[in-house]
Amino acid sequence: MELSRRRFLQASALTAAAAGFTAACGSSGSTSAHGKDLTLWYWGGGLSDKVVGDAKTHFAADITLTASSIGGDFKQKLVTTLAAGGSSVPDITGIKGEDMASFIPSASKFLDLNELGFKDIASQYLAWKTKRAQTPDGKQLGFPIDIGPTGMYYRVDLFEQAGLPTDPAQVAAQVKTWDDFWAAGAQLHRAVPKSFPVRNLPELFSIVINQGTKRFVDENNHFIGDQDHIRNAWNTAVKSQTSGLNGKVDDNSWNAAIATGTLGVELGAAWHALDIEQAAPDLKGKWRVAPMPGGPANDGGSFLALPRQCRNPEQAFKIISWILDPENDARGFTDAALFPAAPAAYKLPAMTTGDPYFGGQKTIDVFGPAAEAIPISYEAPADAAVMAPYRTELGNIENNGKSPDAAWNDAVSQAKQIAQRQGVS
Amino acid sequence: MASVPATRSRPARFRPRRTPVPSARPPRRGVLSYWRQYLAISPFYLVFAVFSLFPVFFSLFLAFQRWDGLSDMTFVGLQQFQFLVKDPVFWQSVGNTLVIWVLSTVPTLFGALVLAALVHSVRRFKGFYRIALFVPNVTSIVAVSIFFAAVFSNNFGLVNAILGLVGIGPIAWLTNPWLIKVVIALLMTWMWTGYNMIIYLAGLQAIPPEVHEAARIDGAGPVRAFFGITLPMLRPIILFTVVISTINGLQSFSEPQVLFGTNAANASLGGPGQAGLTTLLYFYQEAFMNNDYGYGAAIVWAFFLLIIVLVVVNWRLVQRGRKE
Repeated sequence: MELSRRRFLQASALTAAAAGFTAACGSSGSTSAHGKDLTLWYWGGGLSDKVVGDAKTHFAADITLTASSIGGDFKQKLVTTLAAGGSSVPDITGIKGEDMASFIPSASKFLDLNELGFKDIASQYLAWKTKRAQTPDGKQLGFPIDIGPTGMYYRVDLFEQAGLPTDPAQVAAQVKTWDDFWAAGAQLHRAVPKSFPVRNLPELFSIVINQGTKRFVDENNHFIGDQDHIRNAWNTAVKSQTSGLNGKVDDNSWNAAIATGTLGVELGAAWHALDIEQAAPDLKGKWRVAPMPGGPANDGGSFLALPRQCRNPEQAFKIISWILDPENDARGFTDAALFPAAPAAYKLPAMTTGDPYFGGQKTIDVFGPAAEAIPISYEAPADAAVMAPYRTELGNIENNGKSPDAAWNDAVSQAKQIAQRQGVS
Repeated sequence: MASVPATRSRPARFRPRRTPVPSARPPRRGVLSYWRQYLAISPFYLVFAVFSLFPVFFSLFLAFQRWDGLSDMTFVGLQQFQFLVKDPVFWQSVGNTLVIWVLSTVPTLFGALVLAALVHSVRRFKGFYRIALFVPNVTSIVAVSIFFAAVFSNNFGLVNAILGLVGIGPIAWLTNPWLIKVVIALLMTWMWTGYNMIIYLAGLQAIPPEVHEAARIDGAGPVRAFFGITLPMLRPIILFTVVISTINGLQSFSEPQVLFGTNAANASLGGPGQAGLTTLLYFYQEAFMNNDYGYGAAIVWAFFLLIIVLVVVNWRLVQRGRKE
């Protein structure tokens, strides 16, 4: 194609104009506090899609709410967007529970929800959950969406075969401590040799850590990952290996392990019920849930937050407090298996009906009390990174027969190094 | 750069009607007078500068900082590199990468050469074989990795089921530190053999048939002809594929990431014992999962230096071969 000078100049001028226009639009996102168009970022299953849809219509008179379900690595995309700033920063964003701690040092990138009125309604939500999205000086970054109180799922038919009690109340009475758990697990494994009570060591370790009040780094930013509370959790995990009760089931084979009965017991959060149901629809009516041995723990659960660039903080806060009021929070449980962070929701019909998959058991009787009894613990920004080597080394014990003592020493020395890298003293 | 394009210098007999400057030589045109040409090629350079050049230097800058991506950066000097030297996981990841690279490159290139020779000599369905062997390369790595993970699953995989039929007990493909590497290398071999085969095939077709004819007349069998003629004449092509495979092999990331990255609750990538943790995967874990961008940048720059060393060694070997 011949490109004449005139056509070329025309094309260049048009391109330049278009680029300039886009740039002008891009930078026009001024932070006036009365924006009418608000954006909401969450991930698939992070909120009930129906509640979000209702929120759009409920606030349609004042605000146009655009909700985007962001796929892939949510935290990474959020961090990049927040760092870049500008108008693409969402006005409301979800933050996953496990990522919350790492956002605390960047508190200046978010609005303090207490100033917008959260402190007046904070008592409606579980205190330990609210505290996880709080800076040491009391700024509230996150509004609790859901939590993950844990329980002990078990197979009624296998328990019967092993001569164990099958009724949740009786199971709860018999399996109170980890020692009770080992005894019951051994009885199950003896009667049904293919069946194990423990999924794998790293998972069990995390659960025991979540039961405690202390983690790997304390409030003064000191490394405490070599202390007794961690060593005890480590020993509990290792015990399942030495007593031959470890199923060694990894993520890839988990579905099959649930469906074929390799796992007769499964420790997990309330939302885990849906995973079990999807993995083994044929086992309907054969699962029940009882309280966790050694006390409840939390696994998962998320927050909503308002980035500093939010175009209309007051309306945005109204929207999130509407989406997450106890009644709508309970709908999240029905629609997306999100266990509400507001105890008032536990008495609503959405929560108190029996679950047919669990033989009509009212699982809220287990998870409700568990949710309210979860201990408050301090999770440092570096916590997840510092915890990683322990889980890796437990995997080495499980898969390669590494001696537990050598694995412990390696885990601690690596964790110390990671902690140092992350600025922990 | 001093030479002026041929079309611009006119032969003397076509005397221009107007001669603007009465000089013997045409005036040298400045760079600016070519602005249209530069403008026309600028999109590539702009995109390159923004998405490739800037990040390279920014990551070098980051390697001397501590930064979580959001809060303020702190300059820490060489501290990240001091951590790196003492970090057993980094050295383990370098070892993993090199082992996986060798385990995948050798069978890939050898298999590609054999396949190319076979496809070259086959008479019918040539197009079919070529396409069939190339298909793995255009299949999505993620899909292939998920497939491999299912096939090699320890408890419920197809491979162990077949081995079970002939009386061999289940093998822990995805947990044993060596077998993890073997599975990753197998996946990469499966993906890249066809690609290299096509390149070799092109090289084989470029060898003039007369040479082979002459060899046949001189009494050389097919094996002798392959080692005496085909291999030496393919030498530059083999070198090319070795270089490309080195680049691809040392950058292995997606395969272990998908095979062993599904465990969202476990921050350590690379599977049990991190036996499948390649250096790029470790960089991804530190930078993008632990948000330790400074350390991540230090990892890739240290790895870059290691690759340079490898390249120099490689180059020396090739040069020595040439002089002989």
